[in-house]
Amino acid sequence: MNVNLVAKSVVTAIAASVMGGAMAADVVQKNDQWFKDGQATLQQKLNTPRINGMAKNVILFVGDGNGVTSNTAIRIYKGQKEGGTGEEYVLSYEQFPNLALAKTYNTNAQTPDSAGTASAFLTGVKTKAGVLSISENVDRGDCQAALKNEVTTILELAEQAGKSSGVITTARITHATPAAAYAHSADRNYEDDSALSDDQKAAGCKDIASQAITSNVDVLFGGGRRHFIPKTMKDGEGKSGKRTDGRDLTKEWVGQYKNASYIWNQAGFDALNTEKTGPVLGLFNSSHMEYEADRAKDKGGEPSLAEMTGKAIDILDNNKKGYFLLVESGRIDHAHHEGNAARALEDGSAFADAVQAAMDKTYQEDTLIVVTADHSHTLTMQGYAKRGNPILGLSVGVDGKGHPSDKPNLADDGKPYTTLSYINGPGAVKGERENLANVDVTDLDYIQQALLPMSSESHAGEDVAIYARGPKAWLMEGAVEQNYIFHVMGYAAGLVK
Amino acid sequence: MRVLLAFLCLSLGSVAIAAEPLHFRDLYGRGGDYSVIAKEKQGQKIRVRGYMAPPLKAQAAFFVLTKRPMSYCPFCESEADWPTDIMLVKTDEMVDVVPYNQPIYVTGQLEIGTQVDPDTGFLSKVRLVHAEFETAQ
Repeated sequence: MNVNLVAKSVVTAIAASVMGGAMAADVVQKNDQWFKDGQATLQQKLNTPRINGMAKNVILFVGDGNGVTSNTAIRIYKGQKEGGTGEEYVLSYEQFPNLALAKTYNTNAQTPDSAGTASAFLTGVKTKAGVLSISENVDRGDCQAALKNEVTTILELAEQAGKSSGVITTARITHATPAAAYAHSADRNYEDDSALSDDQKAAGCKDIASQAITSNVDVLFGGGRRHFIPKTMKDGEGKSGKRTDGRDLTKEWVGQYKNASYIWNQAGFDALNTEKTGPVLGLFNSSHMEYEADRAKDKGGEPSLAEMTGKAIDILDNNKKGYFLLVESGRIDHAHHEGNAARALEDGSAFADAVQAAMDKTYQEDTLIVVTADHSHTLTMQGYAKRGNPILGLSVGVDGKGHPSDKPNLADDGKPYTTLSYINGPGAVKGERENLANVDVTDLDYIQQALLPMSSESHAGEDVAIYARGPKAWLMEGAVEQNYIFHVMGYAAGLVK
Repeated sequence: MRVLLAFLCLSLGSVAIAAEPLHFRDLYGRGGDYSVIAKEKQGQKIRVRGYMAPPLKAQAAFFVLTKRPMSYCPFCESEADWPTDIMLVKTDEMVDVVPYNQPIYVTGQLEIGTQVDPDTGFLSKVRLVHAEFETAQ
């Protein structure tokens, strides 16, 4: 029966297609605004041409941990911040014409980590969790084997083709996602030499920070100063380094490239001359950069992700051959790990602003922009909240007639609950859950309730979205393996033979 | 016993009502400096929601209050990063330790200024002294 129904629909669809508008029926709801909007979207899609030229530039945006639920919550949050009900809001990259779903598993993990996933979309091959841009043949931590099993990244291919390159993150620049673009490592935790044993160093294994300064990347913006300076040295904000080899990599960076500069605060960032500068190393925090919600309180001042994106493009587009740029919003993930949805949504909102900054500074005819997440989190959006209910608030529904209620929905324990919660994490307590009736659950520091008690909320294994615009963006369709992202970027820019 | 418990609850409640509720972020300004509010409220009784960090030792009349549960993330950190905005809570009685992820309300007298505890060597910038706490129910 179902098969017949499907067959009948297909035949009908084909007939409608062949006959065109002649068979189209008038419908009573044609003057409804939802109907009109749907028709307008249909026309827009029908009129969107495939862009088939070469991508001179490729920009890959990664919202670390920004799964589909997280993305929906960010959409509503941002929409509500801008005065709307939220659900109807369109994030910058949700205007992109092409969309696919990525399967995120690592070769040895059903639910992945950021090192394995970043390696997949930056090198075109999946690998194990915890390792950076090496093949799956290597055990995590076997750095000698890793030396013989490095795989080429899209950034390295761009450099080989004479393009410029950049890596931006709000996490440490040596953290998993950004590091996978320019470094190869048997363990994501080898961020500086203190994490390597003497035997590993003697065998020629190199820490991630030292690879950053020899990778020919033109722009590096992020956190992680401590991995670039010795433990005997203090940085501009008075924090000690971690290196045990005595090297000051910030000094080496400035010395090894023409017109190179090292900056560490907002003032240095603002003073950059984007038309004249050589390679720039910007390290704005000892560890990760601040969450967007806390950024204004940073001692030295930090640029936003959008500001870093805009400035990087202004620097990179001086190269007539184009560029590859990786932009990561690294701390959506961290806030989720802390069970703190408010900060995750604020960072996600800043992520959308960063994509908008790139859209404003590029042309879709020559620049492929891909926006994705590396993996998901256990955030869930549940209950029957009314339209426009504050996304961070208690779930308040509708009455029997479907009109907005002002009383919170109650669970079977008689207590109200929030729309957003986590399956696991620090928000799960021993014994009865807290009665939230008099708690400000929209507060920035509020930790969402969770089911399974875990000190750190975990990643989740479902697919993540890929949004694309620009040359060959139409190749992003269907449910694909995550490493496919590399192949589209490489093909669009002519980097892979 | 029930009467005593009820009295205790009333007593705690009245302290809580008298104390001004503040957030961690109200006390810290840019770069971990003290905020204007922190300077104004110095010596006054305040009430803060937070979490008890795992104690340094089993029997103690103090604990560290954090604004979020101090979690260790095996996927993101090679070591735990402690935030700068924490408070030292000094109580008049030994502390009954609660799990690090149990929300608590702490009421105490606000003290600011760098201080190194002679016994533990613990450095603190913000303290709540003569404090008492209750778990969020």
